[in-house]
Amino acid sequence: MTPGQLLLIAFGSLAISIAIGFRMSRTWLILTLIGTISGLGAALRVLLLGENWAWENGFREHAFRLGGESLHLRLDGLSALFLVLVSVVGGAGAIYSREYWSDHHYPSSAPRGRAWWSVLLLSMGLLLMISNGLHFLIAWEIFAISGYFLIMLDNQRAAVRSAGWLYLAASHAGTMCLFAFFAALAANTGSWELGPMRDHPELAPLFWLALFGFGMKAGFFPLHIWLPSAHANAPSHVSAIMSGVAIKMGLYGIVRFSGWLPVPAAAGWVVITLGAISALLGITFAFAQNDFKRLLAYCSVENMGIIMIGVGGALLAVSHGDAPWGQLAIAGALLHVWNHGAFKSLLFFGAGSVLHATGTKDMSRLGGLWRAMPWTAGLFTLGALAVSGLPPLNGFISEWLVYLGLFDAVTSKASFAWVAMPAVIMLAMAGALAAASFAKAGAMIFLGAPRTKPAARAHECGIGMRGPMVALACVCAAIGLMPVLFWPAVSRAVGSWYPAWSALEMPVPLFTLGKVHVLLAIVLSFVAWGLWRKARANGLRRGMTWDCGYAAPTARMQYTSASFAGIVSGWFRWALQPERQTRKPHGYFPSTAMRLERIPETVLERIIGPISVLVMKVSTGVRSLQHGRLQFYILYIVVGLVALGIFVVLGGAP
Amino acid sequence: MIVIDLILRLAFWLLLAPLLPGIINKVKAWVAGRRGPPVLQLYYDLAKLWRRGVVLSNLASPAFIAGPAIGWMALTLAAMLMPLGPAGSALSFRGDVLLLIYLLALARFCTAWAAMETGSAFEGMGAAREVSYAVLAEAAIIAAVLSLSVQTGSVSLATMLSPSAGAGAVLLAAGLFVVLLAENCRVPFDDPNTHLELTMIHEAMVLDHSGPPLAAILHGASIKLLLFSALLVQAVFPMGDLEPLAAAGTLAAGVLLVTLAVGLVESLLARLAFRHVPLLLTTAFLLCLFALLVAWKGGAQ
Repeated sequence: MTPGQLLLIAFGSLAISIAIGFRMSRTWLILTLIGTISGLGAALRVLLLGENWAWENGFREHAFRLGGESLHLRLDGLSALFLVLVSVVGGAGAIYSREYWSDHHYPSSAPRGRAWWSVLLLSMGLLLMISNGLHFLIAWEIFAISGYFLIMLDNQRAAVRSAGWLYLAASHAGTMCLFAFFAALAANTGSWELGPMRDHPELAPLFWLALFGFGMKAGFFPLHIWLPSAHANAPSHVSAIMSGVAIKMGLYGIVRFSGWLPVPAAAGWVVITLGAISALLGITFAFAQNDFKRLLAYCSVENMGIIMIGVGGALLAVSHGDAPWGQLAIAGALLHVWNHGAFKSLLFFGAGSVLHATGTKDMSRLGGLWRAMPWTAGLFTLGALAVSGLPPLNGFISEWLVYLGLFDAVTSKASFAWVAMPAVIMLAMAGALAAASFAKAGAMIFLGAPRTKPAARAHECGIGMRGPMVALACVCAAIGLMPVLFWPAVSRAVGSWYPAWSALEMPVPLFTLGKVHVLLAIVLSFVAWGLWRKARANGLRRGMTWDCGYAAPTARMQYTSASFAGIVSGWFRWALQPERQTRKPHGYFPSTAMRLERIPETVLERIIGPISVLVMKVSTGVRSLQHGRLQFYILYIVVGLVALGIFVVLGGAP
Repeated sequence: MIVIDLILRLAFWLLLAPLLPGIINKVKAWVAGRRGPPVLQLYYDLAKLWRRGVVLSNLASPAFIAGPAIGWMALTLAAMLMPLGPAGSALSFRGDVLLLIYLLALARFCTAWAAMETGSAFEGMGAAREVSYAVLAEAAIIAAVLSLSVQTGSVSLATMLSPSAGAGAVLLAAGLFVVLLAENCRVPFDDPNTHLELTMIHEAMVLDHSGPPLAAILHGASIKLLLFSALLVQAVFPMGDLEPLAAAGTLAAGVLLVTLAVGLVESLLARLAFRHVPLLLTTAFLLCLFALLVAWKGGAQ
């Protein structure tokens, strides 16, 4: 089938699934899967066979028009790359949600959730294909709204409502900039049609509007304010698609329009700097969190930072005479789009499974879950290794490509090396912190002794939730072990971003790295198995944790999440601004002592919060001018006239 | 041919690595005027542990044994990427140095993971310290690697390590030596001989391990020490310009020198208070950063 037919099937089945999502959950699932699989098929055809697909209204004048504009869709390498992500995570999440957010447990919100899920997938798919500014805005708004309703599924909880409200406000602040962006674009070019327009240098300043508008959705530092609360409070399958896919739509916008439009000379510098800051601070915030879903959300900020480093590097390379290292940077960034989508969804699914089993998101209340939930524990560990960028999994491949691009930038000793150098160092530190964060998350949730009763009574999730997790874990392993197979697709996307780099041959020994990874995987599993056998053969005895001779270790003596992160959160106290409440033990026989710690969302609570309070104060103050007393209004007019008169008399005539 | 090369290489790393801690201990004993344990003590310990049974904590999952195994093999494979003077490395490709750094990170992740298995506060403490100080150590290593990369215009270990580090060699050597001490848990960062668990990093993490897994951990640690020594020596000396025999001799002498230096540092210095550890690591990072800037300016002439 041609991409067009596949897309039509995808569109049709998703559109029907919106309508029937309220009633028939099984049919909804089947239709959603048909939709996502055919969407995936179309995207893969474009990526692997290189047949770009476009559809323009070739029918009568008045058919297929929306807002006075004729429909125009296109699917090129770049859109197809993102469409793959939408399809894979969309399908996996649909399966997952059937057990996780079932009709049985959530009779009122589950039907609504299914319908909005389909709306979200459909709007994201359309967003990737639309090439008309007006229609893009419409799809963008539907996409944002459907995300809002999905976050708000559990709207009985106050935290969910405030997270949803923040998401909506932030999202519309971004949309406002996008309105300005597309309107200015249309005013300058005389048409809403989008497409490559690199030969209009006067459009370059519009990039800043796009960067802010799309960046709000992409959630890089410091525009991430809405992201942690929204992703932490949404149902986990929604968190997965929001974190794995929806924020990538913002990134798609930045990549798409930096490819189509000319960019200002400073664009690369700004983007790579923002990326490096997001990577380091995002993961620092993640490490300090005690709520595991918030940890995952902040980690998305870090990963968006890594992607932005790659994109910024590519922009720099383009603006400095097509330096070939830019190809590596953008390829790494685009591959990381896939990778992050896969492992972050996997981790959120795992988090959902833990939440489902224990009812708490606080890591300091969990522990020892591996025994009750071996599948979740194993798959979460795999995701944790992948997100930490450790070989032989996929996270390493994309980070390796970005690193190689940046190393080439540094060794070239050109002006851009001055920004590539700190970016490399911050990327390395972010990598170490990511490993630390996920060692902490995995250990607090799954290892040690259960810290509370709910943790001790946990149960494994069913096959419906396990299946999607296994599938995503396979994706992580496949990209890690056979990166060569995925290179052509990434290269095609790079080519549609910047045609000069469309050559298919690999500039790096990805094949060798893949071989080493396979070898590594085999050796590691073989030796781990061998050592287990050897330990068994020597005699394996179970005993109490030695703990340097304590007779009765209790679960409360274990290191907690906050104590594990204590050293690093001390270094970054200036950014984290932790709020602490301590009641120290007093007397010879102290009865109570406590220590509460909360890591606020610094940008929101320390910067934007106070500013909004100030704005509200000023506006409330101004409101007292308008009180409905006529004589004062007449006085205003008189004062105004007198002021104007003085202005004219003093010679300031217009 | 490749197989023989690989076997010889594996034998070199696996068999020679446990010698280094023995030499360090001997140096410490000489300075203190003791006779000290035999140089081969670690071999005896490993052989003994390999035959011993294992006591597993009630809380531990199979990853408690898989963790040390993965860490051990990650370090061994990282060693395979490290060139050995005239013999080169088992496999060299563009970007292999990044793989090496991330294999070390994998080993660290697995050790920390296994440490958290037991639910012991001491091991949590050790793991927290290990992963936190790694952030600074990683920054220093990447700065050192960048400086070598700027020097040679390459991202492959074999090329990067073949000339000398040039004008920045002293800075780089000092920076890398501090990183070596930190990453291998030597004084002044950590005291491998201490029995006060509160003050330890690495030893605190492995308190509950026993038998073959503990042997794997100890052996892995000695491989890591040899790996860092080889990196330091080859980064500083112009291995590529020497005759094969001279290069091999330089490498051996250099590694011995580094080992002696570690032993002397351990004899003469006290362990730092924990709040000063980040400062020393930051100093190491700055030294590597200055080496990078020197390499940059040096090449521009």
